[in-house]
Amino acid sequence: MSNPKNLNARERTRLAAEQAAARKRDQRILISVVVAFVVLVVAGGIVFQAWRTSRAPSAAPPATVSASPVTITNGRPIPLGSADAPVTITLYEDFHCPHCADFEEQFGPTISQAQESGAARVELYPMAFIDEGSVTAANAMACAAEAGFGQAYYLGLFANHTLQWSDPQLIDLAAKVAGSPPSDAFKTCVMRRAHADWVTSMNAAADQNGVTQTPTMLINGKNVDLASLTPDSLKAMITNAAQK
Amino acid sequence: MSVSVGTEPRLAAVAVWVSTAARLVLGAVFLIAGGLKAIDSQSSVTAVRAYRLLPSSLATIVGWGLPFAEIALGLLLLAGIATRVIAVASAVLLLIFIAAVASAAARGLSIDCGCFGGGGEVAPGQTAYGIEIVRDVGLLLLAVWLVWRPRSRFTLDRLSGARPETQESP
Repeated sequence: MSNPKNLNARERTRLAAEQAAARKRDQRILISVVVAFVVLVVAGGIVFQAWRTSRAPSAAPPATVSASPVTITNGRPIPLGSADAPVTITLYEDFHCPHCADFEEQFGPTISQAQESGAARVELYPMAFIDEGSVTAANAMACAAEAGFGQAYYLGLFANHTLQWSDPQLIDLAAKVAGSPPSDAFKTCVMRRAHADWVTSMNAAADQNGVTQTPTMLINGKNVDLASLTPDSLKAMITNAAQK
Repeated sequence: MSVSVGTEPRLAAVAVWVSTAARLVLGAVFLIAGGLKAIDSQSSVTAVRAYRLLPSSLATIVGWGLPFAEIALGLLLLAGIATRVIAVASAVLLLIFIAAVASAAARGLSIDCGCFGGGGEVAPGQTAYGIEIVRDVGLLLLAVWLVWRPRSRFTLDRLSGARPETQESP
């Protein structure tokens, strides 16, 4: 038998080099695959989120608060609900502020109920500081209030708060909440940003009133601590405020 | 297979288990943090915007894409594929997070880091920059450990037939 050691000093060096090369190649392939995977996941994610914000709004919860058309005045909030209600709930909200959407989800039903029963009315200051969609949504909110379906539109905006609020989406939402195609006046109001100055005046009014964050809620002019608020305690607050 | 740097095999065996734990913890944290943010893309964009470091359109893209980058890194870490490369990427990402939070603190912004969803402006005095940075530094240490000692147990590298890209003996 020949001595394998003898046979192969050189052979083994060659084999080792080959193995090292193969390992390097495997590694390079693996890294390429991994990089491609990450890029694909991220690109797919961006496309998915873009789709989520650009799709059509879904139907909104029904608004049973009857609303008559209101006049939009610079610096003045949008009134929603009966003018004779004993309690005024003042809300500062941005339609693209995530906490506002959470607030609306948690307390919206309680507030709506108080509006329906005539116990309270809402004075809405739609603020616009998050992005372009905040501005278009606030403007469209004013258009909707002017057209007489403000309450329904308000609920619809928050029910679909993940949308970016392009003009077609805002008009589509009006059709969904009003149950019929919106008037040309509404469409023009949305597309021309008819209430752009009013939207600016809302931000200024909030500043002036010392509001530094959204959502902010006041009941009969008194600031409500939202951190400890529950739907039940809110209901109690409204009842108490009505009795004073 | 080239076994590790150390002269003491017992130490190397411990290191493998430390790496396993580091990989699983870092992977799970990334996956959860990314998942929570991806679900609520609106918040994610708001959180990025609140740092006031990026122009609006770029903030939107980052707010949408970043959570998925975290998800991808988390999945790869949990699977144990190309651990060293992913650990380098994780370390870079964590350094960016730390720098962003530190810059927010330095500029006196009142924001939540949005690390696990949420984020955006908070009331002054409600910030938690210290804790957020300590947490990120802790995760950064795990990532750096994995760059140094990528070899661990329960990885897919071996299953897939690819050679584990582990430390070459120096």
